[in-house]
Amino acid sequence: MLCLLAWEICADTGAINPLLVSSPSRVARAGVVLCADPDFWNDMRVSASEFAFGYCAAAAIGVPLGLAMGLWRRMSYILSPFVDTLNAVPRVTLLPLLIIWFGIGIWSKVAVVFLGAVIPIVISTLSGVRTSEARFVAMARSFSASRVRIFGSIVLPGSVPFIFTGLKYAAGRALLGVVVGELYAATAGVGHLIADAGNMFQTDTLFFGVLVFTATGLIVVGALGRLERHFERWRPDVGAAA
Amino acid sequence: MSAPAQKPALFLRANERAILGLASVVLFLLLWEGFARGWWAELLQPLLGPQAARFALKPIFISSPTRIAVAAYRMFVVTGEIWKDLGWSALEFALGLALALVIGIPLGLAGGWYRRLSYAIEPFLAALNATPQVALLPLLVLWLGTGLACRIVIIVLLAVLPIAIAALSAVRTTDARLIRVARSFAAGDWRLFRTVILPGAVPLLLAGVRLAVGRGMIGIVVGEIYGSAAGIGMMINQAGSRFDTDKVFVGVLTIAVAGVGLVELVRNIERRVEVWRAPLIP
Repeated sequence: MLCLLAWEICADTGAINPLLVSSPSRVARAGVVLCADPDFWNDMRVSASEFAFGYCAAAAIGVPLGLAMGLWRRMSYILSPFVDTLNAVPRVTLLPLLIIWFGIGIWSKVAVVFLGAVIPIVISTLSGVRTSEARFVAMARSFSASRVRIFGSIVLPGSVPFIFTGLKYAAGRALLGVVVGELYAATAGVGHLIADAGNMFQTDTLFFGVLVFTATGLIVVGALGRLERHFERWRPDVGAAA
Repeated sequence: MSAPAQKPALFLRANERAILGLASVVLFLLLWEGFARGWWAELLQPLLGPQAARFALKPIFISSPTRIAVAAYRMFVVTGEIWKDLGWSALEFALGLALALVIGIPLGLAGGWYRRLSYAIEPFLAALNATPQVALLPLLVLWLGTGLACRIVIIVLLAVLPIAIAALSAVRTTDARLIRVARSFAAGDWRLFRTVILPGAVPLLLAGVRLAVGRGMIGIVVGEIYGSAAGIGMMINQAGSRFDTDKVFVGVLTIAVAGVGLVELVRNIERRVEVWRAPLIP
């Protein structure tokens, strides 16, 4: 709060050039102006759909893939070289390639969001399956539970915290993908808006764009946390507190 | 020598992981090479007729393993052009990471130690953590230009957070029993900090550094792609816009190797530092 005030005063008294640093009140005003602008909503829609397509596809492929790699050892042997390699590369380096393959439209961004998000999801789901309580599995076996039954009642519920850790981390990666993809080459989107605003010295608009991303990040992570609590209700509180 | 020959099944089982992994990689590379050279198109010609042409992809789009190897050889050994870019990127990375350590560790330690300070800095850490920091890049370019400083700052921004957060939580999670023991032997604040908290913080701190290395790599690439005159990211960007896919792949692989190498280095340090620590008994 104090810092916001200091920022405002510095900019208003002209101690620092407001063209360069903007100020909270200017950012708020820019926000109001932008919200009335249909172009801004178009940018929002484009960025949101890139994020949604990429992230949902990553979750839809990453979670089953991680589970499968955890359940069948051979599958993980076959796939892990690729997952590990991709994990080592910052996926944004592939952006120039993705642009060559998919053009500068929305699909290159969807691809970079997908690649950014899918790896953490696979890896944490996999480690969730790997760390499922061996005693529980042994007990279920000795009561001759089928593989499907063991999976459904022990492995899957046990992996939920890991899956959600991966999903939350992946949300950050996905946002990063949207921003970088749009900064790099795009025709619309909030990242594009930020880049444009920067080129035209409109720091107010730029800050508002950054705020939009911050808010999105907080909302997505908050929503995932809520969803996780829903799936985790069966767990006794003692374990959750530790 | 003769053991594997005698029991091939056993040998296969013992090395299943390596064999399957290697096989899948080789298969993948073969498929890739085949697409680029049109092997699959020729192979499927009798079956599909003219449709088979779809299975030959232009090397300009997908490159191929052999072309990448040739390009890498040329860039590293023959012309040596990549070393200049590599040098710039390494300089940025080293300066950025060093600054992030110098800022992040004291900040996190102080935040963990003084409760009031942590109330003051935690909102900023949380907000910055939720923002994709690269969104600030256009702003940094406005403030600092497209030179070295801009890229160093973006690397610092990306790398400082995991370090500061790790340092902060390391101080917070110090074993309370150890603190009580030190206190009951009348250890002062400074003594307590130096002999109990600091050594206890090292493992978490190094884990933070490991994360920061990965973030720093992103910083290099993004900073250089966005606006730069030299560096690996710039090289990738330029090669990409000239449809020089071989070079793009060489750049990506170089960054991957550097990233893995650095992370392994930090892991090594972690292991070395941990030698004195007795295994935890719950």
